[in-house]
Amino acid sequence: MKRKKRLQGLIGWLAPFFGLILVLAIFSSIPEIQDRFLRIANFKSVATQSVIVALGALGMTLIIISGGIDLSAASNLALSSVIVAYAISAGFHPVMALFCGIVTGGLIGFVNGSLITSLRLVPFIVTLGMLGIARGIAKWIAGNQKIDAPLTWVNELMARNPRPSWLLMAPGVWLMIFLAIALAVVLRYTVFGRHVFAVGSNEAAARLCGIRTNRTKIIIYSISGLFCGLSGAMQFSRLTVGDPTVAIGLELDIIAAVVIGGGSLSGGEGSILGSMIGVFIMAFLRNGSTMMGWPNYIQEIIIGAIIVVAVSLDQIRHRRER
Amino acid sequence: MNIRTLIPFAIFLCLLVLSCGKNEKSKSLQDETSKLKIAVIPKATTHEFWKAIHAGAVRASRELEVEILWKGPQREDDRAQQIIVVEDFISRGVNGIVLAPLDDRALCRPVQDAVRENIPVVIIDSGLQGEDYISFVATDNYKGGVLAAKKLGELLRGKGDIFLIRYQAGSASTTKREKGFFDTITAEFPEISLLVQDQYAGSTTETAFQRAENLLSRFPEVDGIFCPNESSTFGTLRAIQEAGLAGKIKFVGFDSSVKLVQALRGGHIHGLVLQNPMKMGYLGVKQMVLYLKGQKIEMRIDTGVYLATRENMDDPDIKRLLMPDLSSYLD
Repeated sequence: MKRKKRLQGLIGWLAPFFGLILVLAIFSSIPEIQDRFLRIANFKSVATQSVIVALGALGMTLIIISGGIDLSAASNLALSSVIVAYAISAGFHPVMALFCGIVTGGLIGFVNGSLITSLRLVPFIVTLGMLGIARGIAKWIAGNQKIDAPLTWVNELMARNPRPSWLLMAPGVWLMIFLAIALAVVLRYTVFGRHVFAVGSNEAAARLCGIRTNRTKIIIYSISGLFCGLSGAMQFSRLTVGDPTVAIGLELDIIAAVVIGGGSLSGGEGSILGSMIGVFIMAFLRNGSTMMGWPNYIQEIIIGAIIVVAVSLDQIRHRRER
Repeated sequence: MNIRTLIPFAIFLCLLVLSCGKNEKSKSLQDETSKLKIAVIPKATTHEFWKAIHAGAVRASRELEVEILWKGPQREDDRAQQIIVVEDFISRGVNGIVLAPLDDRALCRPVQDAVRENIPVVIIDSGLQGEDYISFVATDNYKGGVLAAKKLGELLRGKGDIFLIRYQAGSASTTKREKGFFDTITAEFPEISLLVQDQYAGSTTETAFQRAENLLSRFPEVDGIFCPNESSTFGTLRAIQEAGLAGKIKFVGFDSSVKLVQALRGGHIHGLVLQNPMKMGYLGVKQMVLYLKGQKIEMRIDTGVYLATRENMDDPDIKRLLMPDLSSYLD
């Protein structure tokens, strides 16, 4: 009995990997692109491409575990990237500019959290509003066009071939890995982390147990905002321009990644590892389809199907466990 | 898991297999490994204009016996997505890339990456900063704007109030058209005044439609309008038609599509500035192939601008540009 349970636990832990391995296996078995797909350079490039969605997904995982949702993530990201570009072109030190961008993201998250708890509105509505507000502010600050900021070392953060070369991967990728591990540890081993799950599983019960649910929620949204801000800074690094129209609709990619990775929109479930795998499943699919020269619609159909399949498999597994 | 839960899965799998299988078939026809592989990356894939570029590229690929890989950014007009497409083709290792950059600066680094991996790049349609590409094949967009301004000035007999509805900030090609139009109107037609010249139509027909509707309800007395690309022209056309002002407002647009040609014949549009996208796609690929075969190629090629009106729209040369026959190239 115990052994069976442990086996089930292992399967549960491995389930998200299965999808990723499947995607990798499919593309590596196509002779046309096989050797190219499996090159280290290609993995490096996919890793760099994933950083922006991944950073967003880290914050989103927290929010989804807590039973919320953040539709403003992509707008927040665009606003932060515009702020960084604006600050650099206004002559700020790059460190200061990055700081401004990340703090802007955190601020938007804080406002989201505060509105959700103080007005007692559902997160969907508040963040839907913020989706428009943040995007609008971004366009306003950028004067309705892109901001051409002078090139600085900030733009090296997401270079495919980093300098110095012993880094092997772009600094942004290392940052992503580090933050993912850190957040996973926080979520699993700290009091705050357990509170996030408690709020998502049963908010009323959590409150009765003495958890300050409102404060927890505000912290969750603020942290998620900070991640969006950082993601925006990376987006700027990659584009070399501050583009207020960047990442439109990216919030759905972010949410999809979390959901593919086992996050439940009704709260209480999700993992950092799962979300990261979700991000990579989509990134490799995109990468492989482009290499094959498949048209975009095929890719969209496949990703759509994967979301549905992944979530339903997850549910079937859960039903079994019960 | 019972049968009922399996059914949707089965349908999904069938769909997937079908969609992939369909592709395999078209692939296997041209499955010769010795062919040069050239990636052609447009700004978007659904506009008529890009379909014509695609057709031109296909024509070149058939004549020169190379393989082209046609792939646009997943979300239309998204700079970040286009960078990803360029990077993926670099990873895949193509022989050359023909690129219509969405941004004259953001695409610089991916292009440098390509050059570093010995993949030459031909730029089409819109400019790119720097000197990393081997050739630039495009319309002289400024000239297109000038042509439109002269036509609108002539239609209005040199006086009246007009809108210049811009396309989208940061798009190099349309900005040049707008500048050509603006410069010519202000220099040559002092009695024409611009009621609006800083409004952007946005990237889709829908956004253009709304913008134009709002402008028309604000200034119903407008005499003439110029729009710098297909989506903004069509969106504005719809707004003019909805407002019941079609035919009354002198309207000059840019590029063509079936609907725009109908409107030109119906007198709702008075002039369309035409580019030659098929030639652009064709020459983009051809330049690349010539370069790869070691021939010397020109750094800058102008594919020309033309003005279509109701009077000349049946001339064979104009007709070919207005309604290019793409069916033999695209399926």
